[in-house]
Amino acid sequence: MFKFLRRFLKPEEDVQERLARKFAHFRQILESNNQALAVMADMEEKAGGEFLFDTGYLQQQVGLLEKHLTTMVTEINALTDQAYPELVRRHQEIIQAIRRELSPTWEIPDSPFVLPLKSLNRESAPAVGGKMANLGEIAAKLGLAVPPGFAISTRAYLHFLSASGLAGKLSALLAQASITDLESLEDISRQAQDLVRQTPLPPDLEEALGQASHSLAARHLAVRSSAVGEDARFSFAGQFLTLLNVPNTPENLVRAYKEIVASKFRPRAIFYWKYRQFALEELPMAVGVLAMVDARASGVMFSQDPHHPEANAVLITAVWGLGKYAVDGTITPDLYRVARDRGHQVLEARVAEKPVALVSREDEGCVEVTLPQDQAHRPCLTAEYLGELTEVALKLEKHFGGPQDIEWALDFNNRLVILQSRPLQLGAPAFGAQPRETLWEPAPPLLNFGIRASGGVAAGPVFILQSEREVGQIPPGAVVVARQPSARLVLAMDRVAAIITEVGNPTDHMSILAREFKVPALVDVGGATRVLRPGQMVTVDADAARVYPGVVLELLERRTGTEPTWKDNPVYHMLDAILKKTVPLNLYDPESPEFRAENCRTLHDLTRFIHEKAMDAMFFLDVEEAVEARGVCRLKTDLPLNLFVLDLGGGLRVKGQSIITEEDIVSRPFRALLRGFHHPRVRWAGSVAPDLKGFISVWANTMYDMAKGERGLGGKSFAIITDRYLNFNSRLGYHFGFCDAYLSEERNDNYISFQFKGGAASVDRRERRARLLGQILEGLGFKVQIKGDLVQGRMAKYSLLETEETLEMTALLMAFCRQLDLALTSDAMLDRVLQAFRREDYGLACLRPEEAAS
Amino acid sequence: MAERILVVDDEPNMLRLLKTILTDKTGYLVDTTNNPLEVSKMLQEAPYDLVVTDLKMPIVDGMDLIDIIKKIDPHIPIIIITAYGTLETAEEAIQKGAYDFITKPFRKESILITIRRALEWRRMQGELAALKAPGG
Repeated sequence: MFKFLRRFLKPEEDVQERLARKFAHFRQILESNNQALAVMADMEEKAGGEFLFDTGYLQQQVGLLEKHLTTMVTEINALTDQAYPELVRRHQEIIQAIRRELSPTWEIPDSPFVLPLKSLNRESAPAVGGKMANLGEIAAKLGLAVPPGFAISTRAYLHFLSASGLAGKLSALLAQASITDLESLEDISRQAQDLVRQTPLPPDLEEALGQASHSLAARHLAVRSSAVGEDARFSFAGQFLTLLNVPNTPENLVRAYKEIVASKFRPRAIFYWKYRQFALEELPMAVGVLAMVDARASGVMFSQDPHHPEANAVLITAVWGLGKYAVDGTITPDLYRVARDRGHQVLEARVAEKPVALVSREDEGCVEVTLPQDQAHRPCLTAEYLGELTEVALKLEKHFGGPQDIEWALDFNNRLVILQSRPLQLGAPAFGAQPRETLWEPAPPLLNFGIRASGGVAAGPVFILQSEREVGQIPPGAVVVARQPSARLVLAMDRVAAIITEVGNPTDHMSILAREFKVPALVDVGGATRVLRPGQMVTVDADAARVYPGVVLELLERRTGTEPTWKDNPVYHMLDAILKKTVPLNLYDPESPEFRAENCRTLHDLTRFIHEKAMDAMFFLDVEEAVEARGVCRLKTDLPLNLFVLDLGGGLRVKGQSIITEEDIVSRPFRALLRGFHHPRVRWAGSVAPDLKGFISVWANTMYDMAKGERGLGGKSFAIITDRYLNFNSRLGYHFGFCDAYLSEERNDNYISFQFKGGAASVDRRERRARLLGQILEGLGFKVQIKGDLVQGRMAKYSLLETEETLEMTALLMAFCRQLDLALTSDAMLDRVLQAFRREDYGLACLRPEEAAS
Repeated sequence: MAERILVVDDEPNMLRLLKTILTDKTGYLVDTTNNPLEVSKMLQEAPYDLVVTDLKMPIVDGMDLIDIIKKIDPHIPIIIITAYGTLETAEEAIQKGAYDFITKPFRKESILITIRRALEWRRMQGELAALKAPGG
C-alpha cells in the first residue's frame, strides 16, 4: 500500500501530460476518421448521378482524403509508439494509385509502326487507339464484315515526333507563343499544323507506310484519327480529321497521315496543351487506314433508343451514298425503329426526302450529287437489311457489354460493312421519375422514417439479425433487420434484398458497403426490430424512407430501368475509378488474422483499421503507468470501491485535490458509469447462494483477497477521464472489468468497449457467466466476442443518449455479474438469471426465496 | 422560339454534362465552348438569351468574361459557376452584373431552375422595355 502511494506521490515524470497527449492523438484520429468518412459519403453521393461536378471537385476531395488519412496514420503511430509503420507505405501507395486515376497518362507500348487490322483486338487500344482496336475486335471475334485495312500505331506517332525533331520544334513554338486572344491562338495552331505537314517522316516510318500501302488491295482509302483516350478524358471526339477517298499510293498515304497528325494541333487542343500542361506524348495519335467502301447507302445505328431505352428498339438512320451526310446533318436521313425482339419487326419507318448524296469521285475526294426524284423518296433500306442490321447491333451490344453507336455501310455488292462501333451515350432519365417525397402511398407504411443509406426499392421476407454470428444464416432475398449496422454483413451483401438498422448513419461502414453492392438500406429506423416480424413480407423504399407490408409491385416496377445511364461521362468514370480504390471495405472483421495494416487495400480499409486500433490502444492503456501520474486523486464514495481518478482535461470541476467527491465529477461517461453502480436494485454486499463446492472454489481462489484493502471489496479501480471520455479499469471482487467509452454529440465518435474476465468459481461456471454476459450485452446492442471466460463487447456510433444509457446499463451489469459465477450452477440457472436481469431484478431476489417471499 | 444558351467551361466533361441535361430536359438550343476566347466571336455571330460560364478559366476568366459579354449585350443574363469555397468571388461577380451563381458540384435540378429563372427575368426585362418604349 505504501509502495503504491509512494509511486504516485513521486513527482519524477509527468505521466498525466503523457496520457493527455495520448488522448489528444486519439481525439484527432476520431475527428479525422469522421471527416474522411464524410468525404467518401459525399463522393458516393455525387456518383449517384444527380449531380454535376468536374475534375476540380475530384481533386479537392482527393486532397481532403489525403489530408485526413495522413493525420490518421501519423496520429495512430504517435498513439501506439510507432506500432504500424506499414500504414505509412500503404497510405502512400493507395493515394498514388488514386492520383493516377485523376491524371491518367498513357503508356505508349512498343509495337510495330503498322499493324494489320486483322491482328487487332480490344487489348490493342494503347497501341492503335480505341476506334481501330474495336474494329479489329469486331472482325476477329464476331466475324462481322469490316473493310480491310491497318493501323499506324502510337509508337509510329512518337517516332515521327521525336526522330524528325518535330517534338522540339513544337514544344518551342508552344512555349514561346503568347496567346492573348483567339486570333493568336489560331495563328499558333496554323504554324503548328504547317510544321507537321512540312516535316518529312523518318525514313523507316515512311518505308513502313509505303509497304502497308502496297499490301492493301484497295484503290482508295479512308484515313481517320484513332487517338488513345480520345473518348476518355479530353472530349476531342469529332475534332480530329477523317479523310475520305484518298488514292492508295505511298505518297498520298504519307500526306494523309501527316494531315491527321496535324489535326491534333487545332486551336482547342493547343489551348489545352498550353494551359493544362499536357505533354506532347499525351493523347498519342494513332491513325486508322481502311479500304474505302463504295457505299450505296450508309448510316448510323443505336442499339437502343437513347431517349426511350425501355422502348426495346434499335434506331437506324440511312442516307444514299457516304455516311458523312447522315452524321453531320447535311440532309435528313431515313429513320427506322426496329424491334429488338426476335422477328425484328419494323416499328416505324420515317422515309425522308434525300435530294443529294455524297459519293466518292473517280480520282480522289468526294462530291455531292443530286439524286433523281424517285431515288430521293425511296427508302434506303428494305426490311431484310433492317433485320440484318438489327442483328448486328444486338451482337455488338452483347459483345461490348453495353449499348452501341455504330457506323455502317451497304456496298454495291449488297454487303453490310461495319465501320465503327463505340459505346452509346444514353440520355438521362426524366427528372422526378423517382419522387423523393411520397405523394402516393400504396398502403399504410409499417415504418415511415429513417435515413437513406443506400437508395432503391426491394421486397423480401424479414430476417431479424440478433447477432453478427447469424450472418451466415441469412437466407437469399431477405430484408435484413438489425439493431446496429454491421460491416460483417458484407458476407451476405450479394444475396440480401435490403437492410434496415435501428441505428447507424449513411457514412458508416455498412452503409458504404450497401451502396457499393447497390442494396437498398435504411438506417436509424428506431424500433424496426420490434415492428417488423421475422418472415413477414415487406417492401422497402429506401428513397422515401418507407417500409410497406407485402410486395408493392408498383414501387418495384417504378425503379427498374431507371438506372441513370447518362453517367457515361469521363468524369463519372474517373469518380468510379477513384471510389473503387477508396470505398470497398476488405477489413471488416477485427478478429480475423487478415485484419492487418499490410492488408489495407483502400482508404476505407485504412480508416477502419486505424479507428479499431485507436480504440484498442485506449482500451489497453497502461493503467500501471497512470496510477503513477501526479494528478491522481481518490474518489470518496459509499460504493465498496477503491477508486482512483486521473483527469486528463475537463473531467472534474476541481483541480489539485487529493480526494474528490462524486459532485466534483463532470465527465459525462464517468457520471453514467457511477449512476449504473448506484442503481438501487444492485446488491453490492454478499454473494448469491453458492453451493458448497462453488464456495470452496471461491475460497481457494480468493485467499489473497482476504487481505483486502482498507475498505470495500478490495483491489483498486482506476478511472482516466475527460469531459467526454472514460477509461475504467477495475477489480470488482475477484473479477477484472474494463470499460472504455466516448460520449459526444458526434455520433460517429461514440463507442463503448467492455471486457470482463476472471472470477473465482470453477471454469464451467465462469464460462457460463461469460455466455450469460454475452447474451445480455448483445441485447444491449454490443457486438460480442467470447473466449473461455473472457467476454469482450464493443458498440459504436449510437447517439449520445443511447450510448449514455447503455453505458449506465454496462456499469450496472458489471456490478450485477460480480455476484454471478457462483450462482451459475447449471444452464437452467443461467436462464433464470437472464430472465431476472430482463425483469430488472438486478439484485437477484428471485434466487433468495426468503426475500422473494417477503 | 427556343431560347439559345451559350455554355462556357474550360473542362470539356463539364460542358458535355451540361449540354446533355440542358438539351435532354428542355427545349433550349445549347452551344458550348471550352475556349473563353471564342465567346465574343460567338456572341457577335448569333444572339444568345443566356450565358452560363465557369468562373475559373485560363487567360480569360469568368470575371473578365462578364465585362466582355456586357459590352456586346448589356441585357444578357449571365450565370456563373463557381467552385465550392469561392463565395466571395461569386458575390463579386454578382456586383459586376452576373445574374446569379451556382456552386459546383450542383444538382441537375438546381441548374435547370436557375436557368429558367434567369430566362424569365430576361423575358420580363424585354416586356418592360417594350412597355417603356415610346409609342409602346
